[in-house]
Amino acid sequence: MSFRWNFGAAPERAASRVEPVSKRFSDQLIAVLPRLRRFAAGLTRSASEADDLVQAACERALAREHQFQEGTRFDSWMFRIVQTIWIDQLRARDIRKEDGDVAEERLGSDEPVRRVEARLALSEVRRAVTRLPPDQRLTLMLVTVEGLSYKQAAEITGVPVGTIMSRLARARIALQQLLETGAVERRSARDAEA
Amino acid sequence: MQKHSDEALVAYLDGELDADERAHVEAWLDADPAVRDRLLALAESATLVRNAFAELVTEAVPEQLIAAARGETMQPTEAEIVVLRPPRPSLAPPPSSRWYIQLATAAGLFGLVVGGGLGYFGNSILTPPHVPAERQLQTAAINSWLDNAAADYKLMVSTGDALVDVPASGDNGDVIQKVSQSLPQPVRLPNLQPWGLSFKGARLVVLEGRPAAQLVYNTDNKAIGPLALIIGSTKQPDIAPTFERRQDLNLLYWRHQGRASVLVGQSEIGYLWGIANDVAWQLDAI
Repeated sequence: MSFRWNFGAAPERAASRVEPVSKRFSDQLIAVLPRLRRFAAGLTRSASEADDLVQAACERALAREHQFQEGTRFDSWMFRIVQTIWIDQLRARDIRKEDGDVAEERLGSDEPVRRVEARLALSEVRRAVTRLPPDQRLTLMLVTVEGLSYKQAAEITGVPVGTIMSRLARARIALQQLLETGAVERRSARDAEA
Repeated sequence: MQKHSDEALVAYLDGELDADERAHVEAWLDADPAVRDRLLALAESATLVRNAFAELVTEAVPEQLIAAARGETMQPTEAEIVVLRPPRPSLAPPPSSRWYIQLATAAGLFGLVVGGGLGYFGNSILTPPHVPAERQLQTAAINSWLDNAAADYKLMVSTGDALVDVPASGDNGDVIQKVSQSLPQPVRLPNLQPWGLSFKGARLVVLEGRPAAQLVYNTDNKAIGPLALIIGSTKQPDIAPTFERRQDLNLLYWRHQGRASVLVGQSEIGYLWGIANDVAWQLDAI
């Protein structure tokens, strides 16, 4: 059994990096992980893709720990990192091919029927979010889901507050239409089955 | 105009308008029922989105991500390999010819402290020679109480409720009061029902050489399994939550302001972190 170092990185791990990861920084990162996962889930199309994105963000944050300014919001800094990596990924691949191909990894097959139905409804909303244009999706996740102010969202995305307002309004209206369309399609399918 | 109107309505819902703008939108809402309907629809879609993503923050964080946050998944880059230097003096002083004396001292203390828990889980005490003696002693002490915590958990699981000193009752406040009578400081009972964990009872155990309460929780959820939370008092310095393993058990321990806590179970580590956060929040202990 290998020795575990309780007060920092194990010696062999520390030796593989230029600078050891500070415990305090790691703790901050761990504390914000649930929100980063949620944020990433709204940007990507599957849970595994979201977790890959968060992992990449963690690694980048650790590599750039020195760039974080004490006294500023750590969550905002991490959202910006997630956003930057995600935009890089969008640019690197042809995402149009993936339209409509949303993984349903969060659905378990042995769950009670009512819970599955509730999850399907939630899943439908999440799917609608992922069909929004990237800039609207990003703004919606930052403001509506993560509860950031327009000013904070503007700082993270690097656009004026007015742009946040218009993106958000377009996102909310598009989302409303997507959900209404989904509801109509669901009703039609149910009627057809009956 | 419609675009501008939608922006104003959304900003109104988000509380982002100043007093004048708000008054303007409210006058508009008073005057036009269709705008009121539109506002309601926008509010409803925002609520749907929030609800759709709400459950994700209570999901267990995968162990891989926690490892990533601790820097354990980072691969050294080529540049980093090139600049690799010997460990810095603060982390790794030159090996001392007397390291084996330090090790023997730590092992001796370990043997005195551990008692029944020593060796039960076969935890290694082979400390690298460059680790300072003080740190070796701290590590040995922590290992001992984690061994004991794991042993207590195994005992609790193998015997069911038989060893619970004070079983849960309709009034768990009374249960906790009874247990607290034997402790240096009273404990509180964290409510873990949101995790599907039901309180089964409390036992008196020893943590860091002092009496402590082992609070036993059970659940049908196999991903979480039976869980024990041990809370005791300590005079040792604070430690941030730290993860350890003992055979098939996951342990998360921390010290804060005179209180030492250990969560023990076979739960996935992500769940354990989530539950620890919840416990800490409820006990204001981290």
